[in-house]
Amino acid sequence: MINANSNINTKYPAIIEMQNVGIRYDQGPEILSDIRLSLRKGSFHFLTGKSGAGKTSLLSMMYLAQKPSRGTVSVFGHNVNFANRDALAMLRRKIGVVFQDFRLIDHLSAFDNVALPLRVCGMDEREIRKRVMELLQWVELDKSIQATPATLSGGEKQRVAIARAVINRPDLLLADEPTGNVDNDIAPKLMKLFVELNRLGTTVVIATHSEKLIHDFAYPRLHLQNHGLKIYGPNDYTNMRGNLV
Amino acid sequence: MSKKPVFISRHEELPLQGGSTSLFLQIMVGIAVFLFSVTLSGVLAINSMLLNWNESILGSLTVQIMPSTHLNQDKAIAETLAHQEKALDVLRNINEVEKAEPLSDKQLTKLIQPWLGDGISIQNLPIPRIIDVKIKKGASLDYMDLAYKLAQATPMASVDNHKLWLNKLIRFADGLKLLALSVLVLVVMITSGAIFYTTQTSLGLHKYTIQILHLMGAKDTYVAQQFAKRSAVLALQGGFFGLLVGLPTIFGIASLAQQIEGGIISEARLSFFDWGAILSLPILAGLIAMITAYYTVKQTLQKMM
Ligand SMILES: Nc1ncnc2c1ncn2[C@@H]1O[C@H](COP(=O)(O)OP(=O)(O)OP(=O)(O)O)[C@@H](O)[C@H]1O
Ligand SMILES: [Mg+2]
Repeated sequence: MINANSNINTKYPAIIEMQNVGIRYDQGPEILSDIRLSLRKGSFHFLTGKSGAGKTSLLSMMYLAQKPSRGTVSVFGHNVNFANRDALAMLRRKIGVVFQDFRLIDHLSAFDNVALPLRVCGMDEREIRKRVMELLQWVELDKSIQATPATLSGGEKQRVAIARAVINRPDLLLADEPTGNVDNDIAPKLMKLFVELNRLGTTVVIATHSEKLIHDFAYPRLHLQNHGLKIYGPNDYTNMRGNLV
Repeated sequence: MSKKPVFISRHEELPLQGGSTSLFLQIMVGIAVFLFSVTLSGVLAINSMLLNWNESILGSLTVQIMPSTHLNQDKAIAETLAHQEKALDVLRNINEVEKAEPLSDKQLTKLIQPWLGDGISIQNLPIPRIIDVKIKKGASLDYMDLAYKLAQATPMASVDNHKLWLNKLIRFADGLKLLALSVLVLVVMITSGAIFYTTQTSLGLHKYTIQILHLMGAKDTYVAQQFAKRSAVLALQGGFFGLLVGLPTIFGIASLAQQIEGGIISEARLSFFDWGAILSLPILAGLIAMITAYYTVKQTLQKMM
């Protein structure tokens, strides 16, 4: 028993751990309270909950944009409350994020936006070029390499954001409504990308409102409700129905 | 399958605002470099002139004792020698003086021989007495102070004018050096102040982009380096223009000075190294800008998560 446990801990270490986590904005009420959570390496979860339930807030602690108001959050085994700025930067390099509002840099081309995670860690420009071109082609944006976000459609922006999130082959992929704006024919392709990355070892969390997505891909689900978190198994359809959107 | 190479232009992630902020910075740095280049060239020129003065000129001086006008010849001589003793007393009590010796009768005779011919007895003539003063090597004697002390001791002693004038010039040069130093402090303050201000402004404007860079795993250093690079370039440009205005000013002043008194001022030449120092002022400004921007960014970002 003890052996089995220690084995699972070394082979599938916790990538994200939260204990008694609460988060609030300014002096307002707690959006999330007493969150306990442990996501192991290689896991794949959907994150659901009504609009305003706190999905983005929960993810933002995972991608180290904010610290919890109380409790402890550990990412890759590092307690974020004690990590210094440079250590946080190094942790972020292992995390790919698709933001709900994309957060592309408006004055940069699609190419430069996707190249950002590689440039901040000082990769050779030739290698950057190779990787970015390849990926932009894969997400079918090779015609828009030089285009700035303002001239791209919502779905195209989303694909740039996804490309930027996966360009560095992250250990942890956090996607906030990643297929909300894309056509139905490219959505499965992007999901396949996430599944493929997961198969190669990336831990994935995808926040979504899409019942179809959750139905088509049988992954466990983190559900936010009444400031708390419940975890449902992949086939827990009865529970799922009433809770969606 | 070979593909046509596509030209991809890379854009700055954190462009400094092109408009008024950059111009403000360039103008400030330009003014600073202009001021300093003119001051520095003045100081260097006068310094080189002073160095050009022969050590021997500076190392010795003569003090004259005017002869007494007493009608009794013996008394007149005795009085003159008494004045000479007083002057010697003063001179020998000055630290910087190595030795003060009156010229002997024989030496004096030799001095006036060309004018008055052989067989002259200086005992019978009302000629001035001369004290030869040697100054210790490397010591800087205050001639004004010396002249004052001599005048106190005896009204008959006088130091030659040339030395007094030189001493005034040395004092002036010292004052100018102090001025140059304060201008330098001003230049550094203006440059780093302008950089600090523009960097803070720019950081505020780029807050959103910087947040994204951080989320992509950028360290503060990454952001700071971009600001440092841009600031250095702007300051370099501003400094270059300051120098461009400064150089004709320097030449203008030089040619005016030349007209005043050709003989002396022409020794005020700027050496190769002096020119090197003046021409590298924009680089100095660039360095200051770079360092200031870097640490301003580091300091400011500390407050972000
Ligand atoms: N920066 C902020 N400042 C203040 N309040 C915030 C901030 N961000 C989120 N909130 C509040 O926290 C609550 C949860 O927001 P959050 O964005 O996490 O919800 P969500 O589940 O992602 O919603 P959606 O599905 O609409 O994206 C909301 O009530 C929101 O108003
Ligand atoms: Mg959200």
